[in-house]
Amino acid sequence: MTATALQTKVQQVVEGTLQLEVTNVSVQTDSITSITFGDPLGEVLPCYVPGSHLVVQYGSGANAYSLTGSGSAPTEYSISVLRVDGGSGGSLAMHALSVGDRVQVSHPRSAFAPAATAKHHLLIAAGIGITPVLSHARYAAEWGASASLIYVHRPGTGAHVAEARELLGSGLTECMDRGSFQEVLTRRLTTQKLGTHLYVCGPTAFMDSVLEQARDLGWPKGLLHSEAFSGAALDDGEPFAVNLARSGVKLDVPAGVSLLETLENAGLSVPNMCRKGICGECSVPVLRGKPLHRDLYLTDQEKEDNTAMMCCVSRSLDKELELDL
Amino acid sequence: MRTASTSPATGTGCEPGFRGVICVSFGTTEALKNHSTGGVPRQDLRFASANPEALATLRSVLGRSRVGVRLVLAGPPADVHAAASAAAECGLVDEEITLLCDEVGPRVVFCGHCHTSTTTDHPIGTDVDCQGCATTLTFTDHFSRRVGGYLGFSAHAEEAA
Repeated sequence: MTATALQTKVQQVVEGTLQLEVTNVSVQTDSITSITFGDPLGEVLPCYVPGSHLVVQYGSGANAYSLTGSGSAPTEYSISVLRVDGGSGGSLAMHALSVGDRVQVSHPRSAFAPAATAKHHLLIAAGIGITPVLSHARYAAEWGASASLIYVHRPGTGAHVAEARELLGSGLTECMDRGSFQEVLTRRLTTQKLGTHLYVCGPTAFMDSVLEQARDLGWPKGLLHSEAFSGAALDDGEPFAVNLARSGVKLDVPAGVSLLETLENAGLSVPNMCRKGICGECSVPVLRGKPLHRDLYLTDQEKEDNTAMMCCVSRSLDKELELDL
Repeated sequence: MRTASTSPATGTGCEPGFRGVICVSFGTTEALKNHSTGGVPRQDLRFASANPEALATLRSVLGRSRVGVRLVLAGPPADVHAAASAAAECGLVDEEITLLCDEVGPRVVFCGHCHTSTTTDHPIGTDVDCQGCATTLTFTDHFSRRVGGYLGFSAHAEEAA
């Protein structure tokens, strides 16, 4: 039974994906390792937009990791993974990979692209948040775009520091503690020329703080770009019911069980990938009722529209929702 | 796009947090005379029209400005749209620009054949002769923010063929 259940899930995850081979593993720091994947036959891989991520499958799960290359005609995909002991297991699985191993990965997915109209790119990264931002920096260097980077890392624990220095030269500001970062940030946020876009990646609280300060200093939303690499820790939520209009089925979603799991347990197959409210794959159409949106995928406007919800993390404000399933 | 009759204070370009406003008036408009900037610094510019010289001045003002300011453009639609197009070229996003177009005023029709802009008082849906290639152009509400004008295309082209 377990094997069958696993198989179903695996098939959903690998749909439209690539099978790649680990071509290099290199230790960046004590806890961060870079892993490079290539086509087993040496083919060029699909190119990608800077800031894209790859969903890599491990065992029965899958995790999203930022690609660190520029994305132009890539012959390999590189990710850098921070080992998280006590996480859901993805980072440990990545760290266990060695050259020659085969992995299933998604096509690169873009959710943190550089703005084509930007005159300057202000990149801000903390810790492992350097990964998608490094992709932006490489792209800017390759195409001669104007970019600068504020990189917050503790001495000896920063990944890709040498590359960042080489790519950005004097455009790189390294901050080793919160106080000096705050000082640099305030100065930068108040002195950027019109046409500058801001990109931030790092721990959720770090990103929230940067974005809030930027908004307070008059940065409109359209100039602010952020890449969440972890969904927020979510509570179990209240139980609710869903009415599946097309199949005429009513299901109860207990507290602590997601709508996605409930649908799967009822034998419905819903395309899904990250199961964390980030990728947008498991969107289901809502016909009636107000979902409690807890995802990071839908825009504020889309959340207000209440016509779709990410069934992996979102729940219901009403006792019952009607879905077009 | 908002018209001059809309209360400027409620404009999307002026949400809390902005640190200065550049107010640009074209022609004789007084739309910005009582425009509230919520107490933040305000720089006023006035041009007779959005001619190349005026747009160059605007670009250089924007080039010296910092993220956090907002731009408000007021006057005849043709001038406001030309200035908005120049601002977008400077990298400004929609949220940073408020357009206060006069209710009436000339429009720019951009010829799809020779790319010349013709200014006209004719209403949308009518014809105008292109100043560049003399083709009689029909124009609809197909508006380009990049060129700041309405697309004009050869009138009755289907019938002629």
